[in-house]
Order: sequence, then C-alpha cells, then structure tokens
Amino acid sequence: MPKSLLPAQFHELEQWLAWSLATEKERSAKRQASTMADIKVFYDAMLGRMEEVLPYLDQFSVDALPEDATRLFYLTLSLAEVAPAVEQFGQPSVVDGYDIKRIVTQHAETVTT
Amino acid sequence: MKNGSTTNGNGTKWHNKYPHLGRDPLPAEVFTSEEQFAREREQIFKKVWLNVGRAEQIPHPGDYFVKDLAICNTSVIVVRGKDGTVKAFHNMCSHRGNKIAWDPKGTCQMFTCKFHGWSYALNGKLTFVPDEERFFGLKKETLSMTPVAVDLWAGFIFINVDPNPQETLQDYLGELGAGLIDYPFGELSATSTSWTTEVKANWKVIKDAFQEVYHIAFLHRRSIPDSFTSKTNPYAHCLDVQLYPRHGSMSLYGNADLKPTPVAALAFQHGAFVIRKDFSESRLPPAVNPTRSKEWTLDLNVIFPAFFVDVSEGSYFTHQFMPLAVDRTMWTSTQYFPKAKTPAQQFSQEYGNVIFRDVILEDGRTFEETQSVLASGAKKEFHLHDEEILVRHSHHVIEQMINGQPIAAVSHANGKEEVARA
Repeated sequence: MPKSLLPAQFHELEQWLAWSLATEKERSAKRQASTMADIKVFYDAMLGRMEEVLPYLDQFSVDALPEDATRLFYLTLSLAEVAPAVEQFGQPSVVDGYDIKRIVTQHAETVTT
Repeated sequence: MKNGSTTNGNGTKWHNKYPHLGRDPLPAEVFTSEEQFAREREQIFKKVWLNVGRAEQIPHPGDYFVKDLAICNTSVIVVRGKDGTVKAFHNMCSHRGNKIAWDPKGTCQMFTCKFHGWSYALNGKLTFVPDEERFFGLKKETLSMTPVAVDLWAGFIFINVDPNPQETLQDYLGELGAGLIDYPFGELSATSTSWTTEVKANWKVIKDAFQEVYHIAFLHRRSIPDSFTSKTNPYAHCLDVQLYPRHGSMSLYGNADLKPTPVAALAFQHGAFVIRKDFSESRLPPAVNPTRSKEWTLDLNVIFPAFFVDVSEGSYFTHQFMPLAVDRTMWTSTQYFPKAKTPAQQFSQEYGNVIFRDVILEDGRTFEETQSVLASGAKKEFHLHDEEILVRHSHHVIEQMINGQPIAAVSHANGKEEVARA
C-alpha cells in the first residue's frame, strides 16, 4: 500500500489535494479558475477539520514540516485563499474588483541586518 | 466665508483643528494637467526624500537592488558596500550612458556595464576600462558612478536625487519620523508580501483613496464589514488626525465587537494581522494609537509625497505610488509580518494577506474608473468631507511646493475658540 499523502487521521482530505499548492500565485489562480460549487465543498471539508488540523501542524516547526504535513499545511493556506470568495463575495473573484491578473505578487523572507 | 458658511451637521471637527486648510473644493484639473505633473516632477519628486526599499533587502556586502524612478528621469542602484553601509548611485555608465544594472536585484563584487565592459567597485569608483590606452586622456578617478543621496530611517531606505538635498532625511521626516522610530519595524519585517501593478491613473487619485476611510462603509462593505464601522460609528469616523508641515497621520477606529467570519475567527486565534480584536498596546510607542483607544485598528502615516507606513499592533503595511506619467502610476502595496513561529501562525498571516489583497483590489477598481472620466471637464471641482482632511492637506502641500512657496509650519487651532465661533 503506498504511503499516505496526508497524515493518516486526515486521510479523507486527500480528495482535495489539487488545492495543496505552495504559492499564493498558484492558490489564487486555482480560486479564480474554480466554480463556487467546487470552492464551497473544499471550504466546508477543510473548515470542518481545522480545529484538529492546526494543532496537529503545530507539533512541527514551520521550517521543518514532514512531507505529508506540508501537503496538509498547503491545504490550510488554500482555505485562507478561498475564504473571502465564500464568506465575503459569493463568487471566486472580488466583486467589482481590480483585475487580479494585472497584479505581480512577490513574497520575501528577509534577513534582519 | 470661513466663519459664516453653513456646514452639514457637525462636520467641522478636523477643520476646527486645522482651519488653515480652509473648506474650498479641490480643482479637478490637478489630476489631469500635464503642466501640474511637470511641476510635481521638478519641484517635489526631484527635491524630496523618496523611499526605495528596506535594509533587509540587501543584508550582505555586494547585495543590491535597482529602483527605476521614471518621475526623477533616472534609475537608481542601491547597494550594500564592502564597509556595510548602504550606498546609492544613478544607474548609468560614465562611458555612453547605458544603464549598468539591468536585473532588478542581485549580488556582485563589482558592477560591469554590459555595453563595453566598464567596471565599477561597490563604492562607485571606476576600476576598469577595456582597451583604455586608445582613449584620450581619460581620468578614471573623475568617472565614478554618480552618487545619489541615501539615508535610512527605521530600516527604510530613502534616496534624494537632488545633488544637494535641502535637508537631512531626519529633518524631512521630522516629528512623524521621531514618533514612529520606536515601532518594532525590525522584528515585524521578517516576511513581506508585495502586490505591484501599473495603473492608468494619476498618482494622486491612488494616494487619495488610501488616505481617507470615508469610503470604507461603501466600497468595502463586502470585504470588511463591521471592522472599521459599528452601530455607534457607521461612517468610520477616525480617532485622531495629526498634520505635520508635509506629512500626516490618521488613527483609525475599530469595532471591538466585530463578529468574525469562520475562517477569520481561526486566523484571529493564531496570529496577528490588521483586523482583529486584541487591542493590546504593550509594544506601541506613544505616537501610535495616540488616543490610546481600545477601539483602534491602525494608524495611517502618510509620508509625503507618495509613501505610506500604516502600523497596527502586530503587523504593518506600506503603500507606494510612483508616477510614470500624468495618467500612469506604478502602485505597490506591501504587508509585513514577524516570522511565523508555527504553521498555524503562518496560516493566520496568509489569511491576513489574502484579505488585504482582496480589499486593495476593491480600492484598485476605482482608480482607472475615476481617471477615465476626469479629463471630461464635466466636473471642475470635488468636495471634500471633513474626514478627508489628509486629502485636503496633501493637495495643499503639493500646491505650495509646485508654486515654490515655503512650507509653513502647521498651525493648530485653539479648539475652544474655534468651537465657539462655529
């Protein structure tokens, strides 16, 4: 039997692994390309487990997550990404918003001098 | 008619504090006039200190970044020298003017022009000219990269393209800079996410949207309802305004009874970002949340002409509006967080980033929609609300500077006298 892609107790979330994306650019693109129905089922599935997921992830250092926990962690970041679509806008994109495709996003982990 | 004119309701609170700004409408042409834009370039952007980045971007000697400054007709290399100090140079070869550094950032031992291979040390000195013998009395010691005045404040790097800046950065930032210097910028700058886009709008159209919160109850009614407004403060009236000769601050109200959405509630439990219920003040210097209100979200700090440092309890964000042309602007907003100690904190920060991004996308839509009709001439002037006093102040300072007038100290009105007269 292949090694589980997610920690065993979160096995049922494996059907959402397409949302396990490392960067904001990928997560945002996935949100914009999805239907609200697809977003809502993912949102509901994740939200239902978050009270267990976050304490589970917090066993590990943010810089040293095992592979299966990393996938789970990226799912939580996608939940953050889709939350406004469900909770604020009722559609994938910002209602009456500036075209997100015209925005260049840069993330930096900086070193304090 | 300052004393005799009627006002709507009691809308004179900030006007009473700063009556020198008057109550006149704002001329619409300031956003479309090529002549005004040319004067802004010469009288403002080529004379004042401009933020170009943060020290963390270039931690080691040889680390550099390039800042293209169309409004100053130049590009600037900002580099950490071998001696550890930050230096800045016009990004232009002494030979025939080619831009020396083409990459937006990098690390190097020296700068070598890609055109003919002239090389410059990190201190700007010209060190090598290929086939030098065939030149005619070249004096290499006079052909360094042209320096640009550079200085740091709270880890922010500022440059001034004036060959002889009229004042030091410290003097330029003045009381605003002194009040904010003890904010924990270093610790809170461990991670940053920036959003950049070129907008077809005048830089002041964008700037003005970010220096008032009168719009929050409407433009942001979906994204952040009940965060900056409440039943007792439905129009997000601010807690305080402080104006300086050029800069300005506004302390923003926050609804302490905010009922967060499900994912927001998870994020609130695990970290810090702009909108939250924990109004602990333990780390804030007295100039931040100056009224020491428990119903506080953040302070807007408008550093003239086009840089905002908006500070909250556990994070801060910046806006920058670099003009490209009278109707084109490079807009960058950046949100900063401390290093996440746990995955749950990083989830919380990510939610903070997503909400911030989606909120500024709502702001962003207005810029081009506004600019697209500004030149119609249909409206000659715009009417400013009392809570839009930072907008009024900003245009007042711009008008003074482009007309070559000295910047007057801000006169604080005697509150009692003004109230009695109103």
